Amino acid sequence: MVLPMIAVEGIRKTFRLSRGQRRERGGAARGATVDAVAGVSFACQPGRIFSLLGPNGAGKTTTLRMIATMLRPSAGSIRVGGHDALAHPEHARRVLGFLTGSTRLYDRLTPEELVRYHADLHGVPRAQYRQRRDEIFARLGMEAFARQRIGKLSTGMKQKVSIARTLIHDPEVLVLDEATAGLDVIASRGIVDLIRGARERGKTVLFSTHHMGEASLLSDDLAIIHEGRLLYSGAYADFTRDMRTASLEDEFIRIVEEARV
Amino acid sequence: MSTIFTVFRKELLDTWRDRRTIMFMVIIPLLLFPVLFKIMFTVQESQADKERAKTLHVACFAPEGAAQRLVEMLRAGEGIEVVADVPRDSAQAFTRDGRLDGAFVVADDFDAAVSELGPGRIDFYYKSTDDQGIARGRLRGIAEKFEEALLAERFERLGLAHDVVEGVDLRTHNLASTQEQIGKQVGGFLPYIFVIFCFMGAMYPAIDLGAGEKERGTLETLLTAPVNRFHILLGKFGVVVLSGLVSAVVSIGGLFIGVRQMREIPEEFFEMVARILGVETILLILSLLVPLTIFFAGVLLSVSLTARSFKEAQSMISPLNIAIIVPAAVGMLPGVELNALTAMIPVLNVSLATKEIIAGTIDGLDLAIVYASLVGLAVLGLWGATQWFRRESTIFRS
Repeated sequence: MVLPMIAVEGIRKTFRLSRGQRRERGGAARGATVDAVAGVSFACQPGRIFSLLGPNGAGKTTTLRMIATMLRPSAGSIRVGGHDALAHPEHARRVLGFLTGSTRLYDRLTPEELVRYHADLHGVPRAQYRQRRDEIFARLGMEAFARQRIGKLSTGMKQKVSIARTLIHDPEVLVLDEATAGLDVIASRGIVDLIRGARERGKTVLFSTHHMGEASLLSDDLAIIHEGRLLYSGAYADFTRDMRTASLEDEFIRIVEEARV
Repeated sequence: MSTIFTVFRKELLDTWRDRRTIMFMVIIPLLLFPVLFKIMFTVQESQADKERAKTLHVACFAPEGAAQRLVEMLRAGEGIEVVADVPRDSAQAFTRDGRLDGAFVVADDFDAAVSELGPGRIDFYYKSTDDQGIARGRLRGIAEKFEEALLAERFERLGLAHDVVEGVDLRTHNLASTQEQIGKQVGGFLPYIFVIFCFMGAMYPAIDLGAGEKERGTLETLLTAPVNRFHILLGKFGVVVLSGLVSAVVSIGGLFIGVRQMREIPEEFFEMVARILGVETILLILSLLVPLTIFFAGVLLSVSLTARSFKEAQSMISPLNIAIIVPAAVGMLPGVELNALTAMIPVLNVSLATKEIIAGTIDGLDLAIVYASLVGLAVLGLWGATQWFRRESTIFRS
């Protein structure tokens, strides 16, 4: 059996509420803390695409941030590429590429400088960097604007820079948090190609989205999260086989609505 | 170590390309004083030239006798026109409304008072607000010459020598060396300038590298790199500290260029300052500034990382300027000396110690307390920023 590249076991993330947030939630009656993620478990296999679906505020970003070691879980365990992400977060980060839709870039740097910066941070040796850089820049068609300031580039060009930055250290695991949010069809296609390309090269991809079209197009495995709890986790083929409604979108809404009742 | 340098190099490049930072770090500190002094002196000089060249209209009401000589002297004065057709009771009103530049009213008993060897009364009316007192000085000078002539006649009539009225030949000798005098005078002003510019120069990079990076969302990406968070912070810290120091040094350079423009200051003064401010003195002052800047960087980065956006960081940091300006200004006040207590107060201690270092009167123990206080604060600043940077609620505050 192939060992999962991401293994999440019963993770929980509890946030302390500010006074204002407590007031918004109806005072002390609702408590001083909130569980953004409450006991979530799933596993992502190499060479497969795992989609994490959920409405806004479901806990997708918090889950992905815990996997990317930006946030520390209040409980549970995470292994990334075989490394205990809680005990050795830096080892986990070494095999991980992270991209979100909300991330912007350093406007005053050029794509060349930015990608080099991330390669240096990941400790990519000089010779290997040159080879990877040339390969990625050629594949994404970035040479023409490699030395222009990022602030002057179009959204599509910036998206390519983000992808190059994510791939420069050849990560085994890709974690993408609503990476297509706010992008037009052409720029979104860049992300879709990135995900497919990664799968072809045997990488593990975990991506969150609330676009059902993307999920149905790419998913090998799928999980639905709502109010911090996992409502479904399994193979996409099994999910579609057992659907009680006509489409993925309808089925997603049905599961979330049932959980609310 | 190489990670710290990688972050430092990138942040430095990013900062150097930020026009706003360069404006606050280099352009303003460098140009503020030369431009300010140039404008000030040009306006002042042109105003003074105008006042000197202006024909002064003056009225003089003098009874017959000795006081008529004053009228003659005024008439003979260059650029002075004695106006005759002014009613005596309107002298003050005409002077107040600008029709006259001045008016002399000699008392009716002037001759009698003078002949009895007493002072004869003359009222001199003028209106001086912003003319640097040049018109008043020109008219008053003539009145003083009139008095001198009157006294000369009096001494001659009495057969007395001039110095008979001088009871004491008081000769004052200031035993403070030139270095001490310059140190206490200029030495108080210098730290006021470089401490404030140091803070200002560090402010924008700190906001950009903390809140700016959070707002852009680039911090998230940085935190997923296999790098120790403390090393990321140190890289950012280095750039903020360097910016503060560059700004401080440039501001002193700007001040020096500005002062060089002042023709009133003799060349010998600059030679003396150059002698006093030797390499050792400059290094000693810089050694005070480095830990202070690290403390500033710690505070600024902590506040900046707490803020949600660049704007919020700006509004949170602006009030801190007062906390820097007040102790820096107190250091300029006469009578505020470096002692065991003031040596522990940040900013004020740098201000007072700089004064003493330039004057060459720094006490070893006081200097040690200043260093201990500053190094302690620097460590505290770095520690505080580290704690802040490790807190999830700070980094992901939204």
